[in-house]
Amino acid sequence: MVHTFNIDDRYYLFDVESSSLHVCDKLVTEVVKKMQGEEYDLSGVDSTVIEEIEKELNEIKEQGLLFSKEIKTLPIKSNLVKALCLHVCHDCNLKCKYCFAGQGNYKGANEYMSFEVAKNAVDFLIANSGSREILEMDFFGGEPLMNMDVIKKTVEYAKEEGKKAGKTFLFTTTTNGLLLDGETASWLNDEMENVVLSIDGRKEVHDAVRATKTDKGSYEYIIDNIKNFVKNRGDKHYYVRGTFTNKNLDFANDVTALADMGLTEISLEPVVTKEDDELYISKEMLPKIKEEYKRLEREYLKRLKNKERLFNFFHFAIDLENGVCLNKRVSACGAGNEYFSVTPCGDIYPCHQFANNKDYLMGNVFEKKLNEDIRKVFKETNLLSKPTCKDCFAKYHCSGGCAANNINFNGDINKPYEMTCEMMKARMECALDIFSQKKEIDG
Amino acid sequence: MAKIKLVATPKKRTSVGCGECRSTCQSACKTSCTVGNQNCEKLEREAKVNNK
Repeated sequence: MVHTFNIDDRYYLFDVESSSLHVCDKLVTEVVKKMQGEEYDLSGVDSTVIEEIEKELNEIKEQGLLFSKEIKTLPIKSNLVKALCLHVCHDCNLKCKYCFAGQGNYKGANEYMSFEVAKNAVDFLIANSGSREILEMDFFGGEPLMNMDVIKKTVEYAKEEGKKAGKTFLFTTTTNGLLLDGETASWLNDEMENVVLSIDGRKEVHDAVRATKTDKGSYEYIIDNIKNFVKNRGDKHYYVRGTFTNKNLDFANDVTALADMGLTEISLEPVVTKEDDELYISKEMLPKIKEEYKRLEREYLKRLKNKERLFNFFHFAIDLENGVCLNKRVSACGAGNEYFSVTPCGDIYPCHQFANNKDYLMGNVFEKKLNEDIRKVFKETNLLSKPTCKDCFAKYHCSGGCAANNINFNGDINKPYEMTCEMMKARMECALDIFSQKKEIDG
Repeated sequence: MAKIKLVATPKKRTSVGCGECRSTCQSACKTSCTVGNQNCEKLEREAKVNNK
């Protein structure tokens, strides 16, 4: 399958199975459409010209770089656990309007994880990690920094136990930035392999949804903390991670606002809410969103060419020439099989988005075993089990989407949520164009 | 005259499946599954060894 597309006046052929990308002109894309039995427009084009292009396309096909056959590979999935998301705090010091976690407590009690639970989670991860050497643990909430003491003790314990077992832990913390100062910031900077900082972009956009407990905008309380943290971060990983809603469909302005403050590693995701929510992104908004991604891409390229105010955007980062192996690409998200979330009382769920959903309760860190029936559902899902992915050009990029979104919106882990599919495809075309443009700039 | 120019020359797709790569949702997004921008940990570690 060859995906033909253009961004402005740049035309491309993307060979889905081999991941080859070719730049061409509009005429070539029409000939490819003709060869694939799609609708095309070659009116007024001389047949010898078409034949010449077909000849060239067939030569590239012979090299295995176009019209490559589908590689039907079922993933090999082990029972090894490699990552845990610890909900160290089901409470929050903000009350953001779009919070999928119900303002931090996941529609349950305002609980804080004890060190005893966290310690057992570490033991559970090590015991179930088999031969895997690198283990990942992220601290999530609510607002995890409200339980800083347990985070510190857990990191210390995991490092000690990891050393004994020949494991290396990589830690990540997500935070809204409110308590990110002084000694806490310095400690996190040292210990965390990655830090995800929640900020939505422009002050007015951020304040409209990310409110304090007293209904004030939270921007003024977090911005200096986040800026200082990033300033001291050096070359270690971090992301400023925002959410856009139907109130800021001009979100490219939020990405550039963050970049202009020196917060250069940026991820901005569409809000995940139900249809009756005032911030819901509906199907009708998709054309505007797709255009906005293109607008963001133009700005990204402009800055790249001018070598000024550069930034990285999570969804524009794509490496066609290296990247992960085919097994990973068809495995789908690792939730419920190799990645789990642990709530403050030690209950285990497939991922953070299922926390406190009793239908998906898989066990408890004190029991040291998992509900294998639920695990089977997650283990068996993969790219080939999702019929709608078969003819999608982005399938090896997203691996069939987020399991939680698929279940929450379509009631089926194997039925991707169309809205995220459409946005993923739009972002991927931009990413492919950027990949090509970067090559040109680098010569 | 060539009308088509190759931009990306991918490595042949293999199904290594060593499982050392990062868990997808540990990345920045937390609400979408993105594997296309991940690195192969096996290749990265091998490169580090070779560069020593």
